[in-house]
Amino acid sequence: MNKKYIIVALILLLAISFAVAKSRKITCSGSTTVLPIAQATAEAYMDKHPDVNISIRGGGSGVGIAALQNGSADIANSSRVMKAKEISQAKSKGINPTPYAVALDGIAIVVHKSNSVANLSIAQIRDIYNGKIKNWSEVGGPKLPIVVISRDVASGTFEVFNEKALGGSKVVSSAQLLASNNAVASTVGSTPGGIGYIGLGYLTEEIKTVKVNSITPNTKTVQDGSYPLARKLYMYTNGKAKGDLGSYIAFIQSDAGQKIVVEQGFIALK
Amino acid sequence: MKKLLLATLVGLFLLPALLGALELKISGEMWNRWTLEQGKVFADTSLTAYKKEITKNFFSLERGYVGMEAKFSQSMKGRFTVDIFSSDILKDGAGLKLKYAYLDFSNLIPIPDLTTTVGLQKVYFGSIYDWSYNLIGKAPTDEYKYANSADYGISLNGYLPGGWGEYQLGMYNGEGYKNYGSNLKDNIDPAFLANLRIVPTAGLTIGGSVMTNGSERKLKLADATENSSYNTQLLADGILRAAFGPLDIWAEYLYKDISYAPNFSAKDYSATCFSVFPTLKLKSLIGADIDLQGRYDRSDETRMPDSKKKNLLNAWTGGLNFNFMADDSGSPALQAQLNYVRKDYDEDASGTDYANGKKDTDTVMLQLKWRFASTIY
Repeated sequence: MNKKYIIVALILLLAISFAVAKSRKITCSGSTTVLPIAQATAEAYMDKHPDVNISIRGGGSGVGIAALQNGSADIANSSRVMKAKEISQAKSKGINPTPYAVALDGIAIVVHKSNSVANLSIAQIRDIYNGKIKNWSEVGGPKLPIVVISRDVASGTFEVFNEKALGGSKVVSSAQLLASNNAVASTVGSTPGGIGYIGLGYLTEEIKTVKVNSITPNTKTVQDGSYPLARKLYMYTNGKAKGDLGSYIAFIQSDAGQKIVVEQGFIALK
Repeated sequence: MKKLLLATLVGLFLLPALLGALELKISGEMWNRWTLEQGKVFADTSLTAYKKEITKNFFSLERGYVGMEAKFSQSMKGRFTVDIFSSDILKDGAGLKLKYAYLDFSNLIPIPDLTTTVGLQKVYFGSIYDWSYNLIGKAPTDEYKYANSADYGISLNGYLPGGWGEYQLGMYNGEGYKNYGSNLKDNIDPAFLANLRIVPTAGLTIGGSVMTNGSERKLKLADATENSSYNTQLLADGILRAAFGPLDIWAEYLYKDISYAPNFSAKDYSATCFSVFPTLKLKSLIGADIDLQGRYDRSDETRMPDSKKKNLLNAWTGGLNFNFMADDSGSPALQAQLNYVRKDYDEDASGTDYANGKKDTDTVMLQLKWRFASTIY
């Protein structure tokens, strides 16, 4: 056989094998808030589709978006919408970021379970995080210094909290900046004067949720948008999700997927 | 020099902390390079015939950047970067320049996604400001001396809604960050810049920049006669980028118009440069994070009235990048680069300076870059 035909056949074989191999693997990266949704739905999806391998990493929304831009992730999990700068950078690299809402969430304001404070206004939350209110007694609580616990600024949860609660103002320099929802929950749970904010999926019995502007974060208040710190959670793909990628996202948005979303402590899209 | 370096590095850590930064990041990168150049030199003392011989063969730390980024609030961020480079010319064997030192204010002007930058910052002209050194060589703007990569000034940097692109307006010294002493243009006219990049669809970017600059202080001297050295510069740039699948191609056209005082208009000239640089990313095809690089430049300075300096250069580059140790976002911490560059001056179109040094060269460069970035608090 002519050598040229052998080479062409080998190239075709390699191209097909890469294409096939690629289509059966999905990589997700990004938001630690979306992480439990991605993990639980991926497990359920892989049970039904054992030939598909979904790998999931955290790192924060910013990291996931950068990974999508760099082509190292198929899905960027994000707890915020992408910024104009990020979309522009992605598009110039040939990546067309396309959002898929996968769940609703409320950012819960949490305190130590022994704290008597049950409600805070947005203005009080802002003043606590700015360092203007330093003691729980100033908001009707015990005489106890407030320990401000926040997320690192790369976090999508921080960005939404910053936009909706802080209005862009500076977090007090003494605040502890933690890298995940879990870390915030456990630190608040072990700090009597602590205050933090986490996704609803991370609430535990060790911490207490306070109302915001007298509204409790729950399914009704998040879905109808009355809870002031409600938000959508997203998965971004490069262009319209097709093949296994499209099938996986369609599964998350289906009734079965949304049931898993609720089991993880988040709010279904509808 | 060592004391200055130490003081600078200590200052890098302490200053933002003293100012109470919300977040402090440190980052840096080092470029270790081996260069082997074969050049065209005179064959004998008759200065008529040429031969090729090895003209450079050395190892160097070509660049070392160390920077700090301090976030003081959600709307204010500061950054400074020092540029460290090894050099046998200097007594201490190393040079140190401040590359960036600026503050970003995102709420000074109430326009969404608009940042006001003040200080020693990037010059948003052509490809120079997002040149990521995927090829070892400099951006054409920098390589052929159209604009500096950094300068002191103030700029407005914005993004169009919906990811449609970006824009910049700037006012700079026009001297760059490296000039000193007699190299300075002695310039009292600020340089003005406008830059626009449009991304009409994913993968396609169209952009252009215009910059005006001046050199040699004043049009008129103290005795009211015209300054023969004074000149104004009009710089323009057009960019087209197409990134589809594994292929990413940039094309750039540069134009420079230099005008002297009316009585010295015979010195006026214009120059152009056309460059194209394609990249083929093999990661999606073979799994390994390898990029193949190419570049072609045609720098035309044949319209220079100074017959010694005029030249026409064609340069070709072929390269390969191997990226490894990627972080969670897929950015590599280590990059090995191999480049071959051929520079070919047109003997007929180039002036006597060509004979004095700008001769054809073939250069092989092997470079290992390593980067780090960490959030301190």
